[in-house]
Amino acid sequence: MSALLTDLRLPLSEETARGLALGQMVTVSGLMFTGRSRFHIRAIQDNVLPPIRFDEINAFFHVGPVMRQVGGEWQVVSCEPTSSIRFERYGPDVVRRLKLRALLGKTTMGPGTAKALAEVGGVHLSKIGLCGNALARRIKKVHAGYFVEELGKTEATWVFEVERFGPFFVDMDARGANYFEDLDRAARERMAEQLERLGVPRDYAWTSVSGEGCEAQ
Amino acid sequence: MIERKTIESAMYEAVKLAATRMPPDVLAALRRALDEETDPLARRHLEVSLDNAASAERGEGLVCADTGFPLFFVTAGAGTQLEGGFGSLWPAARAATARATAEAFLRPTMVDPLSRANPGDNVGPGMPKVELRFDGQGAGLEIVACPKGGGSEIFGTFYRMLFPSDGEAGILKFALDSIREGCYAGKICPPAIVGVGVGGTADLCMKLAKEAALLRPVGSVNPHPAAAALEAKLFAACRALGVGPMGARGVNAVMAVHVATAVTHTAALPVAVNAQCMVGRRWKAVVSADNLVRYSGDFQ
Repeated sequence: MSALLTDLRLPLSEETARGLALGQMVTVSGLMFTGRSRFHIRAIQDNVLPPIRFDEINAFFHVGPVMRQVGGEWQVVSCEPTSSIRFERYGPDVVRRLKLRALLGKTTMGPGTAKALAEVGGVHLSKIGLCGNALARRIKKVHAGYFVEELGKTEATWVFEVERFGPFFVDMDARGANYFEDLDRAARERMAEQLERLGVPRDYAWTSVSGEGCEAQ
Repeated sequence: MIERKTIESAMYEAVKLAATRMPPDVLAALRRALDEETDPLARRHLEVSLDNAASAERGEGLVCADTGFPLFFVTAGAGTQLEGGFGSLWPAARAATARATAEAFLRPTMVDPLSRANPGDNVGPGMPKVELRFDGQGAGLEIVACPKGGGSEIFGTFYRMLFPSDGEAGILKFALDSIREGCYAGKICPPAIVGVGVGGTADLCMKLAKEAALLRPVGSVNPHPAAAALEAKLFAACRALGVGPMGARGVNAVMAVHVATAVTHTAALPVAVNAQCMVGRRWKAVVSADNLVRYSGDFQ
């Protein structure tokens, strides 16, 4: 089903990244590296990075894959993208420092990362549905595993070679816009309408018992 | 007498089934959601997820790779006897969890909260978590394995102590705002099964919410009319948010809202929300007193 989608070659060029539109569904082909919380914390707090040429591998896949070793070879059983939004504290610094053009993960990221992506010329690609098994089959080769002993298989950094990996959709473009912005604004408004319909006024507040700034009831 | 090895193998098989097969009630709810959604991205989220579940069932992976927190809910009867006593449930759960992790049915996800060290087998203080209850019937054992995904637990857990004068309005506002926040950008992996606990102590309130989300048949109605009315109001409001599968535009932010209550202090109105993600991972092993085990994904 991904055959009809635009396939992005990795490493992603700035020009290609800047040409991507919010909501566009894509696949990617080439090399990517993985990481989660420990990657971000160690990169920024401890200045520890895996020995990767980030100009050649500029796609960061937020994932903790389920890995299995068969006859000395690493295999990916399943790799469900993890929630990128958790990495917002260090995300902008990591994007700037490594000049990342593609972040792949679940959910989205915040305004700090949006700004960094706009500066670098990069995008965030969000997963579509539960896709860990299909994605695992699109990994042609596990090139390397870094910090596997130290961090365990889930938080380790793996280098995957992938082909028509996806589908993903562009939730953050290279102009700093986010697919979920309008959607969430509308959802908040609809929630207020629904609460009103159920007899909860817009200015309703829970009883406050915390002293300073305590609202009168 | 139920033997230790029966318990361990029943727990292991239930975990393996939970990791690789979507329960029938959850699958049916996702198919209904697909019939209803019109936004191309919302539809694609569901189509891909259903394909993923089908491939897991064929032995090609897992229903979701974040197998999360290893939880077991065990129900014993008045006549149930276990080899080594009821305390043997915990070592059995640890052995079953470690084996399922070694065989890559569970991802090694449990770490020490302070050092962040990962033992690699999902076993450590407090985990796997075994909830034991006695329902007074028979001599068998019912084991429900619920490897609970991180998304739903991390982004879908909310608690607030309200007060009697906050009333139903307070509950509605708290629950709906929690659900909206959890669904933002697909954090809890909608369509979610949302449990809402009302009453009890703080921990009991959260337990009510969690068990309502995890163990009840999807869309089942609370037998108490006041709780059922709250379920209906919240369900309808969730469907009107304009949020659908994985936070895309749509209708199905939730598959169901299940409310559970406990009596509470006359001065208190505790409310908790706990979400279960769209895979609704749970599988049941029903063990008889003579060590026969039947596995079922049917929670009706």
